[in-house]
Formats: sequence, C-alpha cells, structure tokens
Amino acid sequence: MTRSMIMSEKIKLSERPADTALGSAPEHVPEWLSNRLRRMFTDVMDEPVPEEFRALLRQLEEKERGF
Amino acid sequence: MTGQDKFLDQVTALLPALRAFGRSLCGDPARADDLVQDTVLKAWTNRDQFQSGSNLKAWLFTILRNCYYSELRHRKFEIEDPEGVCAAQVAIAPDHDAKLHLRDLSRALQHLPVDQREALILVCATGLSYEEAADVCQVAVGTIKSRIARARDRLVELLGDDAAHITGTLPMTGAPTEAADNVSAQRSGAT
Repeated sequence: MTRSMIMSEKIKLSERPADTALGSAPEHVPEWLSNRLRRMFTDVMDEPVPEEFRALLRQLEEKERGF
Repeated sequence: MTGQDKFLDQVTALLPALRAFGRSLCGDPARADDLVQDTVLKAWTNRDQFQSGSNLKAWLFTILRNCYYSELRHRKFEIEDPEGVCAAQVAIAPDHDAKLHLRDLSRALQHLPVDQREALILVCATGLSYEEAADVCQVAVGTIKSRIARARDRLVELLGDDAAHITGTLPMTGAPTEAADNVSAQRSGAT
C-alpha cells in the first residue's frame, strides 16, 4: 500500500460523521442522547395529569349523552 | 355509547404521553397543556375519522403537532410574516455563532428547527417507529432519518463536548483531539 493510498483512506475516515465511522447507520443517535430524550419524556409522563383534563373529558362524555 | 366511552378511555390513558410530547415540542408546560386541550377537543370532534384498531397514539400525536404548527404559523404571522413561511422552516432563535453549552436538553431542543425536533422526539422519546413518525409528519421515512441525523449533530454540538468524549462519539481516526494538542504543546514548550 502506498503512502498516498493510506493518506486518502485516512482523510475519508476523518470526514465521516462520528457514528458512521463507528459502523452505525447515518441516523443513529448515540445512547447518551437517546437516554436523555427518553428520560425527559418519561419525567413528564410520570407527572399526575391535571384535573382540568379529566374534567374536560367528563364534560365531553356528558355532552354526548345529552346531560 | 360503549364505543364512545372506550374512545374517551383510550384518550384518557394517552394524556400523559400527549402532555410529554407537547412539552418536548414547545418547551413550555403551560403552552403544552393548551396544545393537549386543543388536541383532545379536535380528536373528539373528529372521532368518526379515527379508524378503530389503528394507532390512536400516532393519530393523537398527528393532531397535536398540527395544532402546534398552526400556532407557530399564527405567531410568525403576527410578528413579521405576511407571506406565510412554511412552519417547517421556522427555527426558534437560530444561533450559528458558537456552542451554547446548553446542559438542559429541553432548552437545547428549542434551538433546533421544528421539523428536526419533532422527528427526533417522535422516534427517540415517544418510541414510535420511523414509519409511524413519517406518517405523523406526513413525510417519507428517509426524510425522518435525515432530520434525525441533523438534529443529533446539532444537539451533540449544543450539549457540549463532554458527553461526546465520554461516549466516544468523536471520530476515532483523523485529526488528534484538542486535548492531545494541548498536551503536546505543553510538552514541546517544556523541553
């Protein structure tokens, strides 16, 4: 292998996005980031749903039943 | 009546996910809850259009993101946009100058264009598949993937280098790292 071939291979590798250089799909999201996204989401999901929403749904139900 | 009750029961069960999706999208708890209220009302009004047995969560997410886009369009119009720019192009406070070192993911998300933000949230946070996310956003699966890739790159940049160093997401080959540069500079200075 010539020196120029080695150089061009090195350039190609260094130009790749980080994750594809590690052999993943281009849209791959690193674990630390997907974990944080999921945690942000489940933190809100774990909150109790405010009463106003349940009241709204009760209202809709009663309206439909003609109360 | 049973069918309608069931529909309401299912919507009730999905309220936590809807609130979380709304908040991830807009970054503001009160505004998110307003979006969820609008979503519930629209879902109820259009419940005949929902096909029983299909994915109610994806259907509700679609309604919520449409409510959000329509709200964004109104806000944009009120500020400066008489011609009505496509909401997909609306980025909140774009900042191309420098790294913001935003530790807060929720704040960092608000620096992404909305189309990239929703793609990333739908797939990585809500657990929808690429196909379901593509349906919600009414685009091709490939578009969702490229939006996620761009969102990821921007977030890695915004959230700082620490996480990237820890998890090895920096290129393994090519240019040496800045830290290595500093060390070699110090060494050569000492000799």
